Amino acid sequence: MISVISSEWYKLRKSKVLLLLLVAPLVGLFIGMSSSLGDIGAINPWYEKLVMMNFTYAVLFLPLISGVLASVICRYEHQKGGWKQLLALPVTRGKVFLSKYVLLLLLIFVMQLLYLVSIYLVGMIGGITEPFPMDIVWKTIVGGWMATFPLIALQLWVSIAFKSFAAPFAINVIFTLPTILVINSERFGPYYPWGQPFLMMNIGGSAEDFFFVPWDQILMVVGGSFLLFFIGGYLYFQRKAI
Amino acid sequence: MIFPLIQSDFLKIKRKGMWLLCLIGPFGVVALQMVNYGVRKDYLFEQMDDRWLYYLLNINTFTPLAIVLGIVILTSFMSSIEDETNAWKQLVALPVSKRSVYLSKFTVISCILFLSSVLLFLFVFGYGLTLGLGEDIPYLRLMEYSFLPFFAALPVLGLQLWVATISKNQAIPVTLGVIGVIFAYSAPLLPDWMIWKWPALSNDWGHAYINALLGIGFGVLLYLLGMVDFKRRDVK
Amino acid sequence: MEYIVETKNLTKSFGKEKAVSNLEMKIPKGEIYGFLGPNGAGKTTTIRMLLGLMRPTSGSVQLFGKDMKNNRIDILKNVGSLVENPSYYPHLTAKENLEASRKILHAPKERIDEVLKLVRLHGVRNKKVKGFSLGMKQRLGIAAAMLHQPELLILDEPTNGLDPSGIIEMRELIQSLPKEYGMTVLISSHLLSEIDQMATRVGVVTKGKMIFQDSIETMRKIAQASIQIKVNDNEAAWRSMLANGQKADLGEEHINLQVEDDEQVAASIDYLVQQGFSIYRVQEETRSLENIFLEMTKEEHAE
Ligand SMILES: Nc1ncnc2c1ncn2[C@@H]1O[C@H](COP(=O)(O)OP(=O)(O)OP(=O)(O)O)[C@@H](O)[C@H]1O
Ligand SMILES: [Mg+2]
Repeated sequence: MISVISSEWYKLRKSKVLLLLLVAPLVGLFIGMSSSLGDIGAINPWYEKLVMMNFTYAVLFLPLISGVLASVICRYEHQKGGWKQLLALPVTRGKVFLSKYVLLLLLIFVMQLLYLVSIYLVGMIGGITEPFPMDIVWKTIVGGWMATFPLIALQLWVSIAFKSFAAPFAINVIFTLPTILVINSERFGPYYPWGQPFLMMNIGGSAEDFFFVPWDQILMVVGGSFLLFFIGGYLYFQRKAI
Repeated sequence: MIFPLIQSDFLKIKRKGMWLLCLIGPFGVVALQMVNYGVRKDYLFEQMDDRWLYYLLNINTFTPLAIVLGIVILTSFMSSIEDETNAWKQLVALPVSKRSVYLSKFTVISCILFLSSVLLFLFVFGYGLTLGLGEDIPYLRLMEYSFLPFFAALPVLGLQLWVATISKNQAIPVTLGVIGVIFAYSAPLLPDWMIWKWPALSNDWGHAYINALLGIGFGVLLYLLGMVDFKRRDVK
Repeated sequence: MEYIVETKNLTKSFGKEKAVSNLEMKIPKGEIYGFLGPNGAGKTTTIRMLLGLMRPTSGSVQLFGKDMKNNRIDILKNVGSLVENPSYYPHLTAKENLEASRKILHAPKERIDEVLKLVRLHGVRNKKVKGFSLGMKQRLGIAAAMLHQPELLILDEPTNGLDPSGIIEMRELIQSLPKEYGMTVLISSHLLSEIDQMATRVGVVTKGKMIFQDSIETMRKIAQASIQIKVNDNEAAWRSMLANGQKADLGEEHINLQVEDDEQVAASIDYLVQQGFSIYRVQEETRSLENIFLEMTKEEHAE
């Protein structure tokens, strides 16, 4: 298993995927620097930045870019019959799928950390003198990361199914755009998987919960859709004619 | 000279789902407002005296995003059709100029996007009528919000088509597209010179058609730059 | 002579490496030109430049006596090509694939069925190319190249992936083209044996340089130029022949005669008989074309 992951990493290492991860902090810097929300009466100027930055980052950027990463991770296999070559090696398809998924999780975690750095930089450049609220920030970073679990499972599935970059991206867009509206709704918002990154990164959420959203919602919506998409993708890959 | 190429490009996009996207885009934009108005019609009606205008503004929060993302998807699709088996070499070895090869791709995508705008107009108008937004229908505004974003987005089309045709790895244009949609979403915060702001139709002068004119001008410019660069490159 | 293809000092560099250097290719009308060379010799790169897909770093390409640089479209109206792996649109059927090119080439609609029959794909014309075998895709590529009955056909390793009967059909088809349509054909390959059976001229490249270019007969002549004679006393016979002004080498078992024609062979033998040598054996040493080809390319490598 570890060997499959390290082989996956080896293939990616030389591609420009690492540059792709750098887009996250750059986008973070852009949103952080360009937005001025004015005084929203937050206790701490950091909170102001976090509310603004996390909104655009989590609603649009994070779901879209994680889909792109999922396609990148299947790119070599889609070129010139790479699937044939990979699956003719003594590995099970299950391991290949799982390795790709785990690697994606790691990449997105790194991306979240880079985004964290950009939050800090924005604050420094903005001259915020209050202490960095690490206890809250790390929750949004980890929470946002966890919320992408189901999304990348689905994206990995469609990226395996389609050769082109455009098709998985189109599907991603179709699910991601409505988020902007759906999160406004108290009735539907909590149940929409693509809304979860925002909800889990929104520091204005319910304060008494550990991740700004109730545990049962995390388990049910994130966990439930994760299982659905992961198992769906896993079974699809098992059956896919190469 | 160019028409056979365009016909041929239309033939190539068969069964790729691009016509479906052409429909989904405008339908999605209106469907989101169907949900929005379906859930909280009374609240939304209170927001502004001119209900039609408020409805159009609501529509226009999504139109620029849909257009920018639509452009990203269509341009990437278009070049992946040629990339997949490196059909560029076969296409360019035909007796056609590389300039017209590029122009044809640009034209085909423009046609699809324009058709989307027509559909957007019909859907917005149709759903607007059922909502009971008032007697005097602002036809001019309706036209503006349906068609001007298309013209204002032409520079984005020029840029994305350029990057998509020259990139071996479609992750590059798609990532650029993701950045672009973040820009489009943050339009109110952007300076007027940024092309991603234009489809939102807002500017300091307060005239939407300025965005469209700028769009056509810079769209042509970026198209020419892309074409010259495409012509200059060796085909692998 | 009128050349259909003529390159002058054709050179293409990728960074520092020269993939093609000072190549002078000349193909007269109506010939089947075999373009030979090992992997990485620069065949495909040359072909790309012939088609105007790549710009030469220096030198020029002339097709039909016109310069590629300024007449690309005019020239390409009369050229059909298949470069490396066949290109196709997997989501379209065989017929639709050809239709996509036909529209641009302004060929009549009936041509599609004609070429499909020619490459024996007529039965699967409405099947998506996605589901084609490698050889079927290759055939489709050849069909596309013939769509507009070009005057020049450029095929880069066209037998790649074809089955034995496909290779034979292909060879017969190519051989018939100059006779029936006055076409000129350029066909690249690694295998001399493949070219040997249809080419009328050959060009051999290695490391981007043309090291041989002539008719196939000349190449065969090189292969047949050596006659071996075994007599009762090889060394004495050899000295006697040298003294008589004939070109010969002394081998271990026999004398090697370098002669151009049959009369010379007869004269040499006559002479040896007159000198009183007993002639045991006269035989022709035929080095295969494959051997010559290998030797040629080896010399280059040794540099
Ligand atoms: N796009 C490119 N960039 C860099 N180097 C290249 C490129 N195309 C070809 N080369 C180099 O040029 C040389 C010639 O390649 P070419 O494809 O012409 O060989 P070939 O004779 O067709 O070989 P084969 O028989 O394997 O098809 C090789 O050394 C190759 O590495
Ligand atoms: Mg080659």
